[in-house]
Amino acid sequence: MSTVVIVPALVWVTLLLVAGGMTLIRARDVLQRVVALDLLAVLVIALLALLSYARNVGYYLDAAVALSLLSFVATVAAARHLRSGGPFS
Amino acid sequence: MISLVLDVIGGALLLIGLLLLTIGILGVLRLPDTLSQLHAQGIATGPGVIAIFASSVATENAVIITFAVLGIAFVAFTSPVSGHAIARAAHHRGNQSETQNNWNTFDE
Repeated sequence: MSTVVIVPALVWVTLLLVAGGMTLIRARDVLQRVVALDLLAVLVIALLALLSYARNVGYYLDAAVALSLLSFVATVAAARHLRSGGPFS
Repeated sequence: MISLVLDVIGGALLLIGLLLLTIGILGVLRLPDTLSQLHAQGIATGPGVIAIFASSVATENAVIITFAVLGIAFVAFTSPVSGHAIARAAHHRGNQSETQNNWNTFDE
């Protein structure tokens, strides 16, 4: 894929990452923070995929898939933990 | 010829993906309570990432496309599951926001 397309996309996703940090700061509830963190992980996955396209190298997508697995497990664990009301109840 | 077609398809998919990510972020920034934010976040985590992975057709690199298909399958499986887990937790904790949305009238 040509650099003319990839570099503006990388810049735009980086700006979106800043906006995602703002959502994390503005969150008022614990679950809103979980939502914002899931969104930030998704943005980093998109950045890794775009970097893989830009350098025409496959192994950044390994990291993207692994990060997606990690973010899924973290989100489900946090949601189930919050649903049960904590580890001691 | 086929390279040009793939470039155009990949660029269009990349544009759609970035648009969906932007819409998701704006929704999470602007919407008031957790369940509404989850609705906007599901747009970014599901179709947005799938469109960005699918734009790998423009690279014409077999390794990249294989891993992108793996990523698409994985995201299509995990994004609804994590959204459902967050929604169940939000429903269980109750809705503490000051909006008029009365989500708690729904049975689980």
